[in-house]
Amino acid sequence: MNLEIITPEKKLFSGEIEMVQLPGTKGSFEILINHAPIISTLEEGIIRVRDKEKKILTFEIQGGVIEAKENSIIVLAEVE
Amino acid sequence: MANLKEIRTRIASVTSTRQITSAMKMVSAAKFKRAQDAIVELRPYANHLQSVLSSLGDALKADEENVYVNAKETGKVLLVVVTSNRGLCGGFNSNVVKKTLSLINNEFAPYSKKNGVDLFLIGKKGSDFFKKTDRNIVGIHNEIFADLNHASASKLASEIIEKFLSGEYNRIEIVYNQFKNAAVQILTNEQFLPIKIEEKEEKSSMHTFTDYIFEPTKEYLVKVLIPKSLKLQFFKAVLDSVASEHGARMTAMHKATDNATEMIKDLKLEYNKARQASITNEILEIVSGANALEG
Repeated sequence: MNLEIITPEKKLFSGEIEMVQLPGTKGSFEILINHAPIISTLEEGIIRVRDKEKKILTFEIQGGVIEAKENSIIVLAEVE
Repeated sequence: MANLKEIRTRIASVTSTRQITSAMKMVSAAKFKRAQDAIVELRPYANHLQSVLSSLGDALKADEENVYVNAKETGKVLLVVVTSNRGLCGGFNSNVVKKTLSLINNEFAPYSKKNGVDLFLIGKKGSDFFKKTDRNIVGIHNEIFADLNHASASKLASEIIEKFLSGEYNRIEIVYNQFKNAAVQILTNEQFLPIKIEEKEEKSSMHTFTDYIFEPTKEYLVKVLIPKSLKLQFFKAVLDSVASEHGARMTAMHKATDNATEMIKDLKLEYNKARQASITNEILEIVSGANALEG
């Protein structure tokens, strides 16, 4: 599935991934392949991404919102 | 005919002026490029935020609860005026100032009669002008251009939003130069708050309908997303203004360089004419001197 992490100033990440872990407002949650469509707000915390090569990438955010549908995930993040 | 030395000095001074204006043009071109890139980078974020907001659909309707949509009648409006810190950019700043004055005297005349129009100024040029008038100024922020990013713009935006939420103003407008391209700026006044919600999306939401899970709730999402989109709108206005400023300066400096070139051409022609005349004069003197000796 495809993930994009976008801030108002630049694109932080864009590419194929296996798993993403997000700091949701109701608690941390993970999105794997074929997740149901979801829109959620994010809190200050760390986004953990596992890409196709099983490499873990992390992004620190101040907050944001995520929209996921049909295996395409878009994170609108705020960073310092 | 002016004397040779005088013309020579003028040529020298116009040439150095041309050098300065063409250098300024190039500096503006570089800064313009950067400002334009920032706007381009902002676009995907803005588009996605818009699509998320529109998928919230009916939760976004104007209801009693939504503090961003409903304005209390307070008899006061706030104008956010975005100018630049530096001049030499043609009518860029004076256009904004004129527009603001015309808004105060026409659209918001009922408010200004009761002294109900306040100004929130961004940019030194605008602040310098309005400080001399007796308008009520609630904030001056010229420092934002020194380090313009989303975080610093958001801080100012929240300050403005706070003024609306506290019930001090029933309307907030932004006056700024919208960026179209390097040569064209569109002078705009945009309603910032309360938010106008378009009710046209019924059709478009039908065919892209997705059954989302909303976390925590739709209402909470609306509450969080509206300030985000407002901050973004404000950030975009400031970025637009910066790009427009450099575009305007580029155009102004380009014209100044062209004018200087034209002037140098004319002066050179005049100089050569004067030089020729003085040589002719000298020959005449020599010839008539020689003739006098022979005779």
